Amino acid sequence: MAESGFEGFEKRLELHFSGDDPITGLRQIEFETLEEILNAVQCTVVSSVGNHYFDSYVLSESSLFVYPTKIIIKTCGTTQLLKSVRPFLDYACTIGLSLSRCMYTRGNFIFPKAQPYPHTSFKEEVIYLEEILPENLFYKKASVMPSKLPSHAWHVFSAVGQSYLIDNAHDHDQLFTIEVCMTELDCLLAKKFFRRHNDGKTSDSAGEEMTLMTGICDINPNAHICDFAFDPCGYSMNGLDGDRYSTIHVTPEDGFSYASFECVGSVYDDCRKISEVLKKVVQVFRPGTMSVSTTSASHELRTRVANAVEQQGMKCRSCTVDEFPAAGNVVFQTFTNRRK
Amino acid sequence: MAGVEEGQLISCHTIEAWEEQLQKGNNSNKLIVVDFTASWCGPCRVMAPYLAELAKKLPSVTFLKVDVDELQSVAADWAVEAMPTFMFLKEGKIVDKVVGSRKEELQQTITKHLSGSTSAA
Repeated sequence: MAESGFEGFEKRLELHFSGDDPITGLRQIEFETLEEILNAVQCTVVSSVGNHYFDSYVLSESSLFVYPTKIIIKTCGTTQLLKSVRPFLDYACTIGLSLSRCMYTRGNFIFPKAQPYPHTSFKEEVIYLEEILPENLFYKKASVMPSKLPSHAWHVFSAVGQSYLIDNAHDHDQLFTIEVCMTELDCLLAKKFFRRHNDGKTSDSAGEEMTLMTGICDINPNAHICDFAFDPCGYSMNGLDGDRYSTIHVTPEDGFSYASFECVGSVYDDCRKISEVLKKVVQVFRPGTMSVSTTSASHELRTRVANAVEQQGMKCRSCTVDEFPAAGNVVFQTFTNRRK
Repeated sequence: MAGVEEGQLISCHTIEAWEEQLQKGNNSNKLIVVDFTASWCGPCRVMAPYLAELAKKLPSVTFLKVDVDELQSVAADWAVEAMPTFMFLKEGKIVDKVVGSRKEELQQTITKHLSGSTSAA
């Protein structure tokens, strides 16, 4: 492993709010306010687009999605993601929204010593969050879900308030989130995420080319893709498909190559859909090791995920299940390439 | 009612104003850039000041602004699903499209179509 390199593993935060008038809600946020918040995290917006349901921002370090009453932000590298919590809560307060749920997840950093406060340890992160979060989020739990692979463990902190349960009585049971972290990407496939020197393209058009060349465009052909290629390498995309987002981030450098994929789905979807998506994700990157974490009310998803990934020549090495009060089950599975 | 002009960025609030502006643009053979925008869309607000600046800088281009809530039927006819969407028109035909707040891409696409018209002339 390289002594030091770019930290691909993201930190991910999901904040849900409740309030009286959540029609436009958080989407009203002025760009200056957003920039200030992102400045505290140490990242910037590089590209953005919205549809009738949400706004999507590609960041210099990963992604942000803003729904009327929900924010999903994930950032990689040495960003200080948790520093966005307080300013987001303050902003929400100005438009009459209050926090009803907070979920923080991340994998195992490749270069943990490079992380700044409060990301120096999971314990520190949890203390930081608990100090900020309002007291009414009383269903709380922090957990490190292990795997048989030392490089992969899943860190989860969840806090939920009563208002979330009331507002989301229906959605809560049907929606799930899938977070995939992949390391040791196939070298030839990873090369596709390097730009040619002086390609004369904008970051947007170079990103578009990568989306097509790598097959990322086929993962969900219905999604509108907002893509961005970094110089000299690296790639980010946000997908918008109605009210559902998806996102991919790639750090292709050999020695610490990393790619992540995340999407949301519904238990009422055709069950072949998520299998098809995972199959294509594996084909785009052919990782040596991958972890798949699902957050959902049901257990059933777990075998569907495992089957889809195993059909692509990966072997399931571990499966850990943990229940988070009022938030649902998190299932954390790891896979390695059969060649290993 | 005709649109309200802000430099060269013309907001079309009614179907009539929109059709009138399109007709005017088509007759003049100028490059038209239509910005489909929405008040509730954060990324649209990112682009607004930049677009106003571009419009001032490029008087040879007609910039039209359409709010997708005000002119729902136009947005539907033009299959606008993501905001902002910039449609490029020449002689009544759509020649290009940029979706999202992509400043560099927007600038490059305008340059491409402007230089195209110069060489044709």
